[in-house]
Amino acid sequence: MSAPDLAITGLGLVLPCGDGIDAARASLGAMAPCFADLPESLGRGRGAACTAFSPAGIIPPMQLRRLDRPSRFAWGAAHQAFLDAGLDPASLRVSGGERIAVAVGTMTGGSEASEAFLRPYLLRGPEGASPMVFPNCVANAASGHLALAFGLKGPSVTFVDRENATFAALDQALRWLRAGLADMALVVGTDGLFPLQLDACRGARMLDRQGNPEVGSGRGFLPGEGAQAFLVESRQRAESRGVRPRALLRALASRAAAGDTEADRVRALAAAVSALGEVKASRWIGGASGLSRLDRLEAPLPVQHPHWPAPIHPKLCWGEFAGSGGQLLAAGLLAPAGQAVITAPASSGSQFAALLEGVSLERP
Amino acid sequence: MTAPRPHRVVVTGLGVVSSLGPDRESTWSAMLEGRDGLGPLTRLHLPQEPAQIAGQVPLEPARHQTLCERMALLALASALDGLRPQGDPARVGVFQGAGTSGLPVAEAYLEARLAGQRGKAAEAAYQSPCTVTDALARHLGAEGPRSTIMNACSSSLLALGQAWERIAAGELDLAVAGGAESLCRTTYAGFSSLKAVDAAKCRPFSRDRAGLNLGEGAVQVLLEPLDRARARGATIYAELLAYGASMDAHHPTAPHPEGEGAARAMAMALQVGGLEPAAVDLVSAHGTATPANDGAECLAIRRALGPAADAVSVTSTKSQFGHTLGAAGAFGAAAAILALRDQVVSPTLRLEAPDPVCDLDCTPLEARQRRVGAALVNAFAFGGNNVSLLLSRWSGA
Repeated sequence: MSAPDLAITGLGLVLPCGDGIDAARASLGAMAPCFADLPESLGRGRGAACTAFSPAGIIPPMQLRRLDRPSRFAWGAAHQAFLDAGLDPASLRVSGGERIAVAVGTMTGGSEASEAFLRPYLLRGPEGASPMVFPNCVANAASGHLALAFGLKGPSVTFVDRENATFAALDQALRWLRAGLADMALVVGTDGLFPLQLDACRGARMLDRQGNPEVGSGRGFLPGEGAQAFLVESRQRAESRGVRPRALLRALASRAAAGDTEADRVRALAAAVSALGEVKASRWIGGASGLSRLDRLEAPLPVQHPHWPAPIHPKLCWGEFAGSGGQLLAAGLLAPAGQAVITAPASSGSQFAALLEGVSLERP
Repeated sequence: MTAPRPHRVVVTGLGVVSSLGPDRESTWSAMLEGRDGLGPLTRLHLPQEPAQIAGQVPLEPARHQTLCERMALLALASALDGLRPQGDPARVGVFQGAGTSGLPVAEAYLEARLAGQRGKAAEAAYQSPCTVTDALARHLGAEGPRSTIMNACSSSLLALGQAWERIAAGELDLAVAGGAESLCRTTYAGFSSLKAVDAAKCRPFSRDRAGLNLGEGAVQVLLEPLDRARARGATIYAELLAYGASMDAHHPTAPHPEGEGAARAMAMALQVGGLEPAAVDLVSAHGTATPANDGAECLAIRRALGPAADAVSVTSTKSQFGHTLGAAGAFGAAAAILALRDQVVSPTLRLEAPDPVCDLDCTPLEARQRRVGAALVNAFAFGGNNVSLLLSRWSGA
């Protein structure tokens, strides 16, 4: 989809390296991995947790205790994104909320709560079942909490397309904006760590056991968590509000493989990149994570596109999951670039590629 | 102001696997005869739960195939009815709404770990709602866009809307959209913990309604641009005109008491589809039989349709199948599509004492022959998420 008329005007980040754009820029600039031994409540092993996340002053304490981790992170990131776009988050409830759509991507949304709900149920039966936890067992819990938090009443969707769920969300948001069904869209990628996930991934030998993942090593990935929020609107609307876009969305493309082989997925990712049209990228954000299943999909791209710069791999700093592709899109916005290309391999479903143009850090 | 859509979109296939029958026609016949697919809960062993009723499909998971995947593939085969998609595979898309999906796999893994066993870690790690979407795409040889929506109970209806959007924009020649749902402990215990499950068979729109029953099944809908459907001489069941979507921003689980957001979703569908409220003859309702939903939904229908609400038939498939969660919207759409085809509205079962708040014609007890020119399908979900789909009768014009 070509979308040069649509712009990202707000960015909000909750990441293992800290909250906000400055922390993310510093982390990615240094390519400093955020992995550490996790607290027992999140699982056994290493991962990139958002231990510094502070909801104080943003999420009221009464509401905070009702939220699962992905919803907390999404709320924090959305709050930042509205402010970054020059909007007062508190004012949306009064006016404008009906014309703001919400599109969320998540790989783990609902899963943390499902474990928290089911574990005591299996141990103690119905008296262990918490009616407060159950509503968060759905993947769209975060979008519902965002709607409540900010008074957003436009269309809403949550995608769960594994590593690329947030790109699917972005795609849908662009369609709603194009169709005139919303004036703005809040696109959010959000994920939270939880014990069962780590346990299953470790049992399946998917996790790097040397401490820090490395692309092409075949050792596996390490998980992360966090949220990224993007406010998207038409360039014209942004200009009329006097807001300078962080970037224009030049193109977004997805391709899927009919078969289930690695070669099929390699072809699909290459086709998604081709569908972007002419790319003169000065920055390349890649989605390889240390898991061979993803790394090998991106491996042929440097040969196919020799003029691209070397890729930057945010998942080596912030982990897999960690926004289900949102961390890649965010990374594309963290340094000035004429064009930033993003390649997003996935273990199933659609392979995505995106092209940002005129990436700017200047704010009005 | 909404952008124009260059292509008309028609329904050319419909596959249903339900607790009433293994295919579309057996299910539809049973619905019109007033039978329900609710019975004693056997899929799950939950003796401590007060409610022991569910709508169950007599199938089991297969090796390396979850029950959702199995039902979805059967529904797809039925929808295709022998059709082998021709043309560019990149113009064939798959859009699915998911609910529990792979959750039973995760439940089994957690149970094994709690018992000190190894469990099937790889299955649990790779279980994902998109595996159903991928399986359908593989079956079709589809290389076009695919996505998996998890909007709780409105998931599959929004998936239908997404497919419509792509075809209407001229991006696809064929799309499969729908959803599949199987019973699992998390949802059964969850709704029970919310006191939302009726220990008896559910009674949508009734004065004494006391909650929902859970159900399972799958519905897959084949959508094509009108010109391509005509060119290949396809059977056209109905035309898909539009969808609308909104959020309540009211409560994490309860609907807006006056149906404000739901009404906006219906109004959006009508606006995008270019129909006046008076053109709507049928509302295939969300109709869960929970005290909060049904009254709010009837108010929403009145809000959206105005005086025309008095002339519509309303029906709830939950009375036949129970609440199929992620697949519920697609089940509602199936009932509407077949009503448009056959000009008959399926009944709302056990509606013997209507709630005065639900003061619409909710098609009690028996199917009703009537003119059905256009239909709205509603699906509402946790998080105050509302979706409404607009379909019209295909008359060959």
